Amino acid sequence: MHFSPSPYLDPGSGSLIIQIAIAVLLGLGVAFRSSWGKIKGWFGVKATKEDRGADDEDN
Amino acid sequence: MTKITNGKLSASFRDPSGFLFSQNGVLYRQINRAYAEDYARLMDSGLYAKLVKAGLLIPHVETDQPPAESEAAFKVIQPERIPFISYPYEWSFGQLQEAALATLSIQKRALKLGMILKDASAYNVQFVRGKATLMDTLSFEIYKAGEPWTAYKQFCQHFLAPLALMSHCDVRLNQLLKIYIDGVPLDLASSLLPFKTKFNFGLFTHIHLHANSQRKYSGKAVEPRTAGMNQNAMLGLIESLEKTIQGLTWQAGDTEWGAYYTATNYSDSAFEHKKQLIRAWVAEHKPALVWDLGGNTGVFSREAAASGAMTVSFDLDPAAVEQNYRLVKKDKEQTLLPLVLDLTNPSPALGWNHAERASLLQRGPADLALALAVIHHLAISNNVPLLQVAEFFASCAQWLIVEFVPKSDSQVQRLLASRKDIFPEYTQAGFEAAFQEKFKIYKTSAVQGSERRLYLMSALPK
Repeated sequence: MHFSPSPYLDPGSGSLIIQIAIAVLLGLGVAFRSSWGKIKGWFGVKATKEDRGADDEDN
Repeated sequence: MTKITNGKLSASFRDPSGFLFSQNGVLYRQINRAYAEDYARLMDSGLYAKLVKAGLLIPHVETDQPPAESEAAFKVIQPERIPFISYPYEWSFGQLQEAALATLSIQKRALKLGMILKDASAYNVQFVRGKATLMDTLSFEIYKAGEPWTAYKQFCQHFLAPLALMSHCDVRLNQLLKIYIDGVPLDLASSLLPFKTKFNFGLFTHIHLHANSQRKYSGKAVEPRTAGMNQNAMLGLIESLEKTIQGLTWQAGDTEWGAYYTATNYSDSAFEHKKQLIRAWVAEHKPALVWDLGGNTGVFSREAAASGAMTVSFDLDPAAVEQNYRLVKKDKEQTLLPLVLDLTNPSPALGWNHAERASLLQRGPADLALALAVIHHLAISNNVPLLQVAEFFASCAQWLIVEFVPKSDSQVQRLLASRKDIFPEYTQAGFEAAFQEKFKIYKTSAVQGSERRLYLMSALPK
C-alpha cells in the first residue's frame, strides 16, 4: 500500500519501518484480545477492562 | 514571544495548516484552507467537545477577526489565553510524564473518532488549570486506515527518550531538550541508557531498535510495506508507548532542598508570621500573575495562589518541583504551576532566529514577584552584586516581596563556611541602598522570631 506522508513532519524512513514492524506485531495482540472478549461474550461472560483496552477513554 | 509581520508569532511557522497571530493584545489562530476538511471533522465528529470536556484540549471560539494572511485563510479562531507558557525543559519528571500520557490519551480518543495526531510535540502541551492540555487545535488530521503514525518519531524524541533518561540515568537530563529543539536524538538516548533497559520491551523497541533502524535507513528513500498497519496495530503501538511511559518512575530522593524546612532555623511562629505578611501584602495588590523565584516546594507560593493569582513557583531543585507538582495534583490546585529554573542561568530564547521559545523575561513581566530566602544564594553563592540582583528582580515584576537574610543567619553562615567572606556590603543597610536604586520601598517588617526582614517594593520607572 502506498503511504502519503503528512505535509510537514518528516516521519523518517527508519522510524517508519520500525514503527510498522512493532505495530503489526502488537496489533495481533489487540486483535486477539478483542476476539477473546467477543468469544467470552457469546458465553455470557462480561468483557473485562483488559478485553476493551488498558483504559476506557470515554470516561 | 516575539512577533514578525502581520502580528504573526515567530514560533508559529512550521505547520502549513495555520498559525498564531496577535492583534491588539489578543491571540488568534488563523486556519488555512488547506486544513478546512480536517477542522470540520474535528468539530463535527464530537472530538473537539470530548477533548475540551476532559480538559485535554484548549477551548476556542470562532471569530470575525480578519485573518492575518487572507489569501490562504479559511477561518480565524480565538483560543483561550494561557496565562504562562512553560517548556518541557522546565518541567519536573511527573509533569513531562503527564504531558506524554495526555498526548497518548488524546491520540486514542482521536482514533476512535477517525482522526489522528499529525504531530506530537511536547511544546504543544501546556499546563492549564493544573492539567496537561494540548494547545494546538490544528494538530489533528483525518485518519486513513492503513497509514502509519507520522509523529511516532517526534513522540519518542520529545517524550519517551527524555523520560527514560530521567528515570534510568539522571533526572537532570531533561536539560538536553534545551540543546535539541526537536527532542532528544534517539541514538544519543540509546547510547546513554544503561544496558538493562534492553530487557524492557518498550525501551528496547521504541528507543534502541528505533535508533538502529534510523541509523540503517538514514537518508534512504523507502516505500515501507504497510500491510497489516491497521487500526488494531495503531492501537497496539499507542498502548505500548503508554505502558512503557507508565512504567518509568523517578523517586525524588534527599536532595539539597528535600528537607529544607526541617533544617532551617525558623521557629513555627516565624514561619506563620512570614505567611501572614505575604498573604496580606499580595492581597493588597491583587496581582494576576505572580512569580515565586526560588519557591522550593511552594509553601509561600500557595499564599499568593490563595489570592486567586496565577502563581508560577520556580525552583532549581527538580526534587522540590516534583514534590510541589504532586501536591498540585493531589489537591487539584488550578492556579499553581511549579517549574524547574536556575535563577543564575534562566531559560534563554531558543530555536530558529532565537525566537521559537521565549526566554524567562520575554514571558514576563509578572505583576508581583516573591524572592524569599533567595538573596543570599544569589549574592553570596553566586557573587552577584546586590544592585544587579535588584536590577534582575525589577525586570521580573512591578511589585516585589523580598526577604533579606542577614549574615548572622545560620543559612548564610553555612554558605560562608567554606569560603572567604568577600561581601562587606552584604548588610541590611547595603541591601536597602542597592535596592532603592531600582525600587521604592513601600513596607518593611521584621519576621517575628527570626533575624530576617521582609520588604514590599515597587519598581521605579525605567
